Amino acid sequence: MANEIYGLVAEFDTPGSLLRAAEGLRDFGYKKFETYSPFPIHGMDAAMGLKDSILGWIVFVFGATGLTCGFLLQTWVSVYAYKITVSGKPLFSFQAFVPVCFEVMILFSGLAAVFGMFTLNSLPELYHAMFNHPRFAIASSHGFFVSVEAEDGLYSEVETWQLLEKLGGKHIATVEA
Amino acid sequence: MKVSGTPLTGPLADKFPKIAAVVGVLGLVASLVYYTQDHHRFFYSYLTVFVFFLSIVLGGMFFVIIQHLSRAGWSVLVRRLSEHLMKNAGLMAILFIPVLFGLHDLYHWTHASEVLKDHLLQVKAPYLNIPFFLVRVVVFFGVWIWLARKFFNLSVTQDSSGDASLTLKLQKASTYGILLFALSLTFSMVDWVMSITPHWYSTMFGVYFFAGSAIAGVASISLLALILRRAGFLRDVIRHDHYHDLGKLLYGFIIFWTYVAFSQYFLIWYANIPEGTSWYGMHFLGSWNTVAHVLVLGHFVLPFVGFMSKHMRRNLKVQFVVVVWMLVMHFLDLYWVIMPNIDKSGFQLSWGDFACFLGIGGLFVSVLFARMRTVSLVPTQDPRLPESLHHHT
Repeated sequence: MANEIYGLVAEFDTPGSLLRAAEGLRDFGYKKFETYSPFPIHGMDAAMGLKDSILGWIVFVFGATGLTCGFLLQTWVSVYAYKITVSGKPLFSFQAFVPVCFEVMILFSGLAAVFGMFTLNSLPELYHAMFNHPRFAIASSHGFFVSVEAEDGLYSEVETWQLLEKLGGKHIATVEA
Repeated sequence: MKVSGTPLTGPLADKFPKIAAVVGVLGLVASLVYYTQDHHRFFYSYLTVFVFFLSIVLGGMFFVIIQHLSRAGWSVLVRRLSEHLMKNAGLMAILFIPVLFGLHDLYHWTHASEVLKDHLLQVKAPYLNIPFFLVRVVVFFGVWIWLARKFFNLSVTQDSSGDASLTLKLQKASTYGILLFALSLTFSMVDWVMSITPHWYSTMFGVYFFAGSAIAGVASISLLALILRRAGFLRDVIRHDHYHDLGKLLYGFIIFWTYVAFSQYFLIWYANIPEGTSWYGMHFLGSWNTVAHVLVLGHFVLPFVGFMSKHMRRNLKVQFVVVVWMLVMHFLDLYWVIMPNIDKSGFQLSWGDFACFLGIGGLFVSVLFARMRTVSLVPTQDPRLPESLHHHT
């Protein structure tokens, strides 16, 4: 399937021009485009029109689940399953449950944050079409790239090419899928 | 972007300090009337309010020192506000004088007849005695006034001289500054609050008060910035990004307070030794128990859930409500720590509490805003100012 096209790629000289290119694509209505830079660029999320990540909510739900699980587990163990009186305190001594509830909440939140991030970023990703582009290696040292996917509804090889040119893109090329 | 080095002007600088001073003096007169009615309770009431405003001063001092210590750039724009809060240390020293007249009412270890009957008090007498107590009072205020002067004056000097090496000097001072701060804060609270119940001790007590101070300090800085913003000062300079970070700091200390408060309670609950539990027995009695529950909810759960989202922190109306709420909760926290010693049967507000609050608070605010018209609202020559101006969260 050598003929299938992943999309177009364009190169920019500075983080600022990359930011403006992203804004240009966003304002034009493109959705499926990506930017690549050697370091994070402040304001890129807004420039690309990205919404807030839902990771926070995932972590919140898992954290709350962990808290509840930790509490229920200890309550079940101490009050119903293994009734052992410790230093004369009531079986349901919620004070003693707090540290474990806290730890289980942290554990669930931490795991949710890590694996949620992996899932949302579709990691591990063993193949990406961008690496077919011969100049892409410099994205990890001094290159600033934009790619527009062919799957985007607005994509047309000619018009998108012209838009990228207008936005100041250099070395514009198609990338094979 | 440039910042003009103008001090506070307009009604906030001219009229407001005068009105606040009048309120303060009237409040002190009213609390003097309260003193003649019930001098025993007056001193507890006064001490609670005093410690509340002292915690704002110390919270501001902590903020200043920690910014220098960590070479923070983002906070330069709000640092002068915390320097103003910290500089009120001198006023607090004067306002401490009435407490000195109430030592017999506040601390029963000052009664020689009590000490004779009490083995524990005899053991603690080398520390808990009036002369040494007074020496420590002088040391605490000496340290605070010295630190406040040093950090305030060097920062203001830089406004006019533009000497960048002063920043290094301040950074150096922050190293021993934070140690002196931590020790003086801890021991002052052991002396003035914990020794009301001299049989009881908690190694967490200083940290507990510190956590509250940090909340009070950050909340006051944010509140001050919001008041100035409302009056049209620093509108474009102190941006949502700065409020966002102040909100994060406040949020962190809310959790820290909870952590410390729970740890203190938890260890004493676990060990279940009368020396420790007697204190909580007193503070969980009657309606004080309700106050404790209100603190768990209002000092932790509500802000923890409500102020978690960045959209809430970046919303200045929400931030205003939260910082005022946290100051109220911090006051309630101190009220719950100190007042059960006199209102043993339960929570009962008195008009004397309000009188003391208006008295100390009026003077505090008056001196604060009067000072703000003398120097620039922003350290204009700080080498890290550009970093703060371009700060993005």
